[in-house]
This record gives sequence, structure tokens and C-alpha cells, in this order.
Amino acid sequence: MTSDSARFGHRWLPILLVLPLMILILLFFYAPVIQAFYWSFFLEQPFGGGSQFVGFDNFSRVLADPEFWRATWRTLIFMVTASALAVVLPLVLAIAADRQIRLSPVARNVLVWPKGVAGASIGVVFAFIFNPFVGILAPLNNWFPGLWAPGLDGVDAFITLIVAHVWSGIPFNFVILLAGLRAVPHTLYQAAALDGAGPWRRIRDLQLPLIAPQLFLTLVLEFTESITSVFALIDTITKGGPGGATTLLVYKIYADGFRGYDLSGASTQTVMLMIFVVLLAGCQFAFLGRRINYER
Amino acid sequence: MKRPILMALGLLTFSIATAQAADIEFWYGNTGNVEEAIQKQCADFNSAQSDHQITCVGQGSYEVGMQKAIAAYRAKRHPVLIQFFDAGTLDIMLSDAVVPVEDILPEVDWDGYIAGARSYYETSAGKLFAQPYNSSTLLFYTNKTQLEEAGVTETPETWEEIIGAARKLKESGHACPFVTDGDTWRVLEQFSARHALPIASKHNGYDGLDAEYAFNTTFAAKHLSNLVEWRKEGLVRLATDTRAGDYTAAFNAGECAMMEQSSGSYAAAKEAFGETYELTAAMAPMYEGHERHNTFVGGASIYVMKGHDEAEIEAAKAFLDFLRQPEQQMFFTAATGYVPVTNDALDAITASGEADSPKYLTAKIGVESMNQPGTPDTRGIRLGFYVQFREIFMEETQKAWAGDQTMQIALDNAASRGNELLRRFQQTYRNVQLP
Repeated sequence: MTSDSARFGHRWLPILLVLPLMILILLFFYAPVIQAFYWSFFLEQPFGGGSQFVGFDNFSRVLADPEFWRATWRTLIFMVTASALAVVLPLVLAIAADRQIRLSPVARNVLVWPKGVAGASIGVVFAFIFNPFVGILAPLNNWFPGLWAPGLDGVDAFITLIVAHVWSGIPFNFVILLAGLRAVPHTLYQAAALDGAGPWRRIRDLQLPLIAPQLFLTLVLEFTESITSVFALIDTITKGGPGGATTLLVYKIYADGFRGYDLSGASTQTVMLMIFVVLLAGCQFAFLGRRINYER
Repeated sequence: MKRPILMALGLLTFSIATAQAADIEFWYGNTGNVEEAIQKQCADFNSAQSDHQITCVGQGSYEVGMQKAIAAYRAKRHPVLIQFFDAGTLDIMLSDAVVPVEDILPEVDWDGYIAGARSYYETSAGKLFAQPYNSSTLLFYTNKTQLEEAGVTETPETWEEIIGAARKLKESGHACPFVTDGDTWRVLEQFSARHALPIASKHNGYDGLDAEYAFNTTFAAKHLSNLVEWRKEGLVRLATDTRAGDYTAAFNAGECAMMEQSSGSYAAAKEAFGETYELTAAMAPMYEGHERHNTFVGGASIYVMKGHDEAEIEAAKAFLDFLRQPEQQMFFTAATGYVPVTNDALDAITASGEADSPKYLTAKIGVESMNQPGTPDTRGIRLGFYVQFREIFMEETQKAWAGDQTMQIALDNAASRGNELLRRFQQTYRNVQLP
């Protein structure tokens, strides 16, 4: 008994226990991924039959397509703005809820609830909230007609998406960040306070450095999440419009593949999106992750 | 004790005798009152005969139905009968997944279908691929009450008259004289058809997969630019400019006074107007000085899919025969506002003495519209990845509506992006001959 890890009585038992999950992952993740890679090198007819190998033709076509780059650019803008807000806002809320102020225990509960709402439902609700005639911004249009028009103005539609995404991201990030804050020993604050550090100083020099692992986790998850999970919001709020202003890469893939029957083009873009997400996570770990001190 | 066994044996021989009987599936995409009418027809078919049993499965929308059909066909679990929509016609024709109805039912008099409905679903050589089912075409609707209040007594028939009426409505304080959603089917396809303008070369693709888009060079471009100008003037409104957020709802609620919409919308508008407003429906408007040609058939048709045994094909044939009956077409028209497209069904409506009643009104106008003289450019649209093109057209023109680019630039962009789709489609189906 030199190892302190758990031991199984039978050598096949652990494999057997893992097998169901492995099969599911294989079936619903790796198989489609392999299929997408395969199709990205072929011109595929929707109903099958007569697919032909075209090498890297699909990739050179996608790379030369300005619409692909526009969608990529929009994805990047969304990723940076929405992720940053989706971490900063919960951070503010978490710091506030962590302080011993009135009703903070209640807030800690209430802020978690939206986690249970599906993306599509959030989309439907926000489409209503931001409706230019009956939504909360409708008075704005009474004073300045046409100022808020998400059905016509791409920027307004984009803002709607970001707000909906940030709102739906609050619960999870809030929980993670609050847990991080709660784990900071109280004596550190007391010591800092004794040394004359005000609340701002304590946040900047104590709390933020100490919850760096949690901040890093939420950022990594948000960056990758914002690229893919925004689909439900786009599909329910804007359908990629107006004028393609909210056609992010993930939605373009769906529209090309499922609405346009362009299986090869959609697969090629899927492969490129996948590579991009992997590279992104890799970069974050390489440049950010290394500077984080997990020990306390 | 012997009796049950004998009975079982008897049942067994009986079931062998009717081995031709089959349970088949029919997939469709419609919802709402159309879905109810479809389910009623399925139930009536099942109770009218005992040889076959059909299960009709709603897929929620045409697009989803098509997606599922593609997946099902690849997995060899596809239904015998399936409804596909107009824009997917070429994708289906080249798919090698369907058998032309004319091959399966050679004895049927397919010439009984009016030309405007036939030509959309037949090959360049004239072979019908699908049985037209829920057919519609574009009509022009007005709120006569509001027009009269603004001093417009004659219902406008041309675009010039519409704009004249719209100016009067605007002067009288009406916020939304004419409403549209700028949809490709309405503002480009049906407009080009009735003005006999080509959408693409090679007669909209009927003469070859090497067609190229041409709509940006025709009078349609002028019309679309006009629409943008008229919107700036406050005469035309987009769906997104309306309180309702949906142009049909805006018209039905009395928020807007005129619209172009499918004949299938008549029933809903009539019901919404009730006693408050008077509704008119007529053929879609022309520009003065242009000869009127046929509008395209819209809606969807039924295809027979490959890979099924003889008994299932027999059941499918029986169901198609059932749907073709004049009384079934009349029922469907009255229940949905879709247009009957066979001559015997039209004759039956005339003979019923109710031809002018509201439930058959759209049939009369719609058929008249589809029966106008045709040219090789008004047969239909035979262009690859056309569903995707419709989205590109919407995307580019939306930028023109928002003022980000002129309508002409939007159309040029849409045409060149569309041409790329056509070239890729041509390459994807390099091994297939256009039927």
C-alpha cells in the first residue's frame, strides 16, 4: 500500500465504470467532430451520394469569403465585450454580497436563480424587454424617434445580445467569485484594516489577488462559452439580423448547414471555429494561467 | 377450445390476403389551422378505406422538415411521402432521393393542373416531379375602410395608384399606409414573375446549372430602390417599423392600410377585420405600362421518396389520389385559404354556386393570377442553394433599408454572393444532369 489513491478489486471494474460516459462522449462529441473534419475536405451533397474530395478547396474558399471574416470579427468583438462584462459585473456583485451588509444573504440566493433559465427562454424575454415599442427603452423612442431600433440598427441588436448574455452569465460567475471571496481568511482583512487600508485598497491589494484563480477560471470559461452559447440568444432574439449584424460564426455555421444545406461549408467553418477555441484556451493557459498563484 | 385457434388461423389468412396493405408516414411542415386541415385529411383517408393506414407527422416548419428529411434519408429511415417547399425544388430534384410523381402515377391526367402551378415543379422537359399540395400565390390586400376615410374611393391596382393612395393616407395622418417585410418571395420573386423579368440567366436556371443572377440589372432593381425611397417619405413601412413587429399582424390589427401577402393570409385577415373594417383582395399590383404575366405558385408540394417497397408505394399512390379529388381540394381551400390548382377542382367550385363566397374568393383571384400569360422566365426558379440565397438577399437588402448602402449596391452584392453559391452548387452536383 504505497499509493494513497483508491484501489479497485478488479482491473476491469474502473474501465467498466467509465465506459458509459466514454461511449456517450465518443458518440456525441468525437464522432461529429470527425465527421466535420471529413466533410470539410469534400463537397457533400445534402442527401448523400456523389460526394467528391476537393482537398483544401473548402478552406481556401472560406478563408477568401469576406462574410466569414465579418462573422469572425463580430465573434471576437462579442467575446471580448460580453465576457469582460460577464465577469466584471458578477465580481462587483460578489464583492458587495460578501460584505456584511443588510440583505446580502438574500442577494446571494436570488442572484443564483437565473442559472436555471434556458438560453432560449432568456432570448424570448429579452426580445420583449428590448422591443422598441413596448419594452423598457420605448420611452427613449418617444423623445428621440428611431433612436432605439434593434430590428433595423445592427448596433442596437448587438447591444441587446450582449446584455442578454451578460445577464445569463451572472449566476455562475457570481457563485464562483463569491466562493473565492468567502474563502479568504477574515483575519487578513482585519490585519489590513489595522494597517490603515481602506475598502478600495483592500479590494485591490487583497481580494483581487487572492481570488485570481477564480477570476481566471471564469474568464476562460466565459471566453469559450461566449463563442458557442450565444447561439440560443441569436436564434430567439435577432436570427442573425438585421443585415447580418448579429451573425456570429456559430450562427453562420447553423444557417449555412441547416438552412442552406451547405454541409461542406458549414463543416469547414466548424473545424476552423474548433481550432480557434482550442488555440484561445491554449493561449489563456500559456500567458495568463502561468502567472496565477494557486497556493494561499 | 378449437374455435379460437381456427379464428386465429382465419385472421392469419386474411392478413396474408391483404399483404398489400401498408402503414406509411407523411411528413409536413405547416402549423396552426393548416396543420389541422392536413390532419383532418389524413383521418378522412384512413376512415374512407381500410387497405392503407397513413400517419401524418408535423415537423414544425418547412425548413425543419427538410433538415429532418436529409438526416432521415441518410439514415434510411425516411418517410414515403414528404412535403417540400418551393425554394428547395432544385435541391430535391438533384438529390436522387425522390421518384417523379409522373413516373409513379403515369395514368393520372397531370395536364389537369393549371400551368402556373405545374411549371414550378416540373423538369425543363415538362415532367412533373411533385404533386402540388398547398399552393398559394401573392395577392394585394387593402383595408378599404381606412382608404375611404382618407378619400381613396377606388381600390388601387398599380404601384402608381398605391403610392397616390399612400400619399393621401399619410396626409390624413395615417402612420402606416403600405407595409412589407421585404421578403425575397414577395418583393423579388413574385414581382419579377408578373413583370416577366428574369431573376437569373438561362431562364432562371431551367436551361442549365451554369445560370447567373440577373435581377440586379432588371426593372426589379428600380422597384426595390423605389420602396426604399417611399419608406423615407413615410409611405411604406417595414415590419420592424410597426408596433406589431410583424407586417401581417400590423395589417390585420388595422395599424397599416395595405400589404402584399400570400393568398393563404386571407382567412386570418378576414377574421381579424370582423365588422370593424372592410377587406379587399386582388392580384398583386403592376407598374403602369407593363403587361401582366403569371405569378409563381408558392407553398409546397408532395414528393414520393425512394427506397420503399411496393406496398408502401401503393399506399402513397392511394393517398395522393385521395388528395387530388376535387372535394378534398375544396375542403382544403375553404379551411386554409390555399388555392386549388386543378381544373376539375376549379370547375367543382364554380358548380357549387359558392364561387364568390369568402371561403373561395382567394381561389378565384389566385388562379387568375397564376393563369396569366407566361414566358420562359415565369415558369419558376431552378437555382441551386436557393434557400441560402433568400437569406443573402434579405441580409443585403436589410442594410439598404437601414441606409448603410444603396439598394443597387445591396442587389449587386446579393447577386455576386448568389453567383458564388450557384458555382459551388454546380461543382457539388458535377456528376448530375439537370432533369
